[in-house]
Amino acid sequence: MSTASRVESLQPLPAAGLNDEQVAGYEARFKEHANKWAEILQRNGDRMKKGEYSLHWMNTDGAAWGRRAKPSSRGLTYTDINNVPGYGTIPERATNLTFAPRGAVRDRYADEMPVVDDYTLVDRGESWADNVITLYEEAKARQWNATRDIPWSELERLPEDLEKATCQLCTFLTEVEFVAGDFPAKWLYKIPQDFLEVKSFIVTQMMDEARHQEVFRKRAIAGGGLLHASPGFEWALKAIYDSPTHTMGTFLLNLLGEGLVLSMFRSGEMIAKTHVDKEIFRRCLQDEARHVSYGVLELKNYLDNAPNRPAALEEMHRFADVGEQVILTSFTEAALVEPMAILLGGGLDKIDQGMEGQAHLWKMSVEEYLQRCERAGFDRRARCTIPLDSPWGQN
Amino acid sequence: MEPQVHSNRAVEGVAFPSREWFERLARLMNENRALHEHLGFIDCVAQFTVLDGGLRGQPWSVQVTYEEFEAVDVREADDSARADFTAEATLATWREMLESIARGHGRPDLTQTLNYLSHTGTPLRVWSNDPLRKDLFFRYNQSLQEFVNASAAFRTTFPE
Repeated sequence: MSTASRVESLQPLPAAGLNDEQVAGYEARFKEHANKWAEILQRNGDRMKKGEYSLHWMNTDGAAWGRRAKPSSRGLTYTDINNVPGYGTIPERATNLTFAPRGAVRDRYADEMPVVDDYTLVDRGESWADNVITLYEEAKARQWNATRDIPWSELERLPEDLEKATCQLCTFLTEVEFVAGDFPAKWLYKIPQDFLEVKSFIVTQMMDEARHQEVFRKRAIAGGGLLHASPGFEWALKAIYDSPTHTMGTFLLNLLGEGLVLSMFRSGEMIAKTHVDKEIFRRCLQDEARHVSYGVLELKNYLDNAPNRPAALEEMHRFADVGEQVILTSFTEAALVEPMAILLGGGLDKIDQGMEGQAHLWKMSVEEYLQRCERAGFDRRARCTIPLDSPWGQN
Repeated sequence: MEPQVHSNRAVEGVAFPSREWFERLARLMNENRALHEHLGFIDCVAQFTVLDGGLRGQPWSVQVTYEEFEAVDVREADDSARADFTAEATLATWREMLESIARGHGRPDLTQTLNYLSHTGTPLRVWSNDPLRKDLFFRYNQSLQEFVNASAAFRTTFPE
């Protein structure tokens, strides 16, 4: 069959299933910008018809051309290329809201390029952290594989109470890790090119969280199965997801939430009854600690660069007054606290002893949270809305 | 992660705590580069303190500097500010952990990992004046665990 006859024989695509309104909207938006696009297309087409080349891209005026990046001992890092003049200046405010890379010759084309309206995180203070490049390089170097790096074949069968507790804990953590991936995803596409390092790090965080939900889901199903959802904690997760700004959400997810999850993972490693579980938690806690570090310095950067620091602090305090309920919610959620207590105590019959251990973990988690806030320049000690000692006390 | 394979188990013991003992671990880390490349970069200064490991039962400390995949410097020190974090415990705690690692041929018992011993602040205490620098202990936890696990490759002697 010839190409021509094949094309003629094609039937129109079925309209069913297409959303007419959305397609019409897309067409309308396309037509709004069609003139500029068509103009460039026409110009390029005319030039080619004439048999001419542009070669304008070989002109290095305004480019940082010729200053070659040199690799350091660990390869060519973002820090290495940012040391090359012309590439490493992170603007206070991103004004080029196109896909064109920072450091490229792009300003002269500004009038001809579309503006990406979704790039709304344009202030450096809203997403930058001074450790973000280090964390990105570290995240890439310390990736692991939940399929291959965990010695699954060594997984031992546990007594039923301990196995159920382990599987419930893993069910809970799978639930948590899902939102920990969804929150950065919700903000990722709002970050413009000029903050590409932040965007890169956030992608590693999403990969980490995907791996965590994968490893806990696998652990549960390999050990007996997934158990119960946590309705109370779902509200805390939704609160993180719905945070009004990137910084507020990052505070809640990375500094407070991931700080808490880091404590849970450390507890998970401590109470693990098999070497397989030890390995899982140790791997995960390393990833989580990176996310916490980003959260601390992102908040610091936000406060340090706020045009009106007292107002920014007060706004964050108001947000934290509500956000701290995440800690209270997690430590009162039966689907988390009880399996943790059983694992800490060593069995269902020792759940009371496990609760004593939980009280200690509460105190430690809250103290670490307050220290991290302080490190970010955000003193919560006087305003902390949750008790420093556990609400159920030590028996 | 499989435990490290240690082929050159030395008959001669190395005293713990001593700089020589940590230098041996550093050398093993650098020889086991493939393992540490798999685990990823480690960039920090860790201080290991034996609370009663010095003369007349005084504290004894060593600082190990890690860069990329290697331990590049080992020095006796009491300037804890230089270290990102300090891991401190009594000689009895360190000894129990190292003996467990030796028995497990490079894999400690479930209750003898660095995280297990330090999680509640006792018997191993990990501290720093800066919470971000303390978090490096967690960020590199697997590498640090493998660093001490390598002690199974040689015989450790302890003071009587």
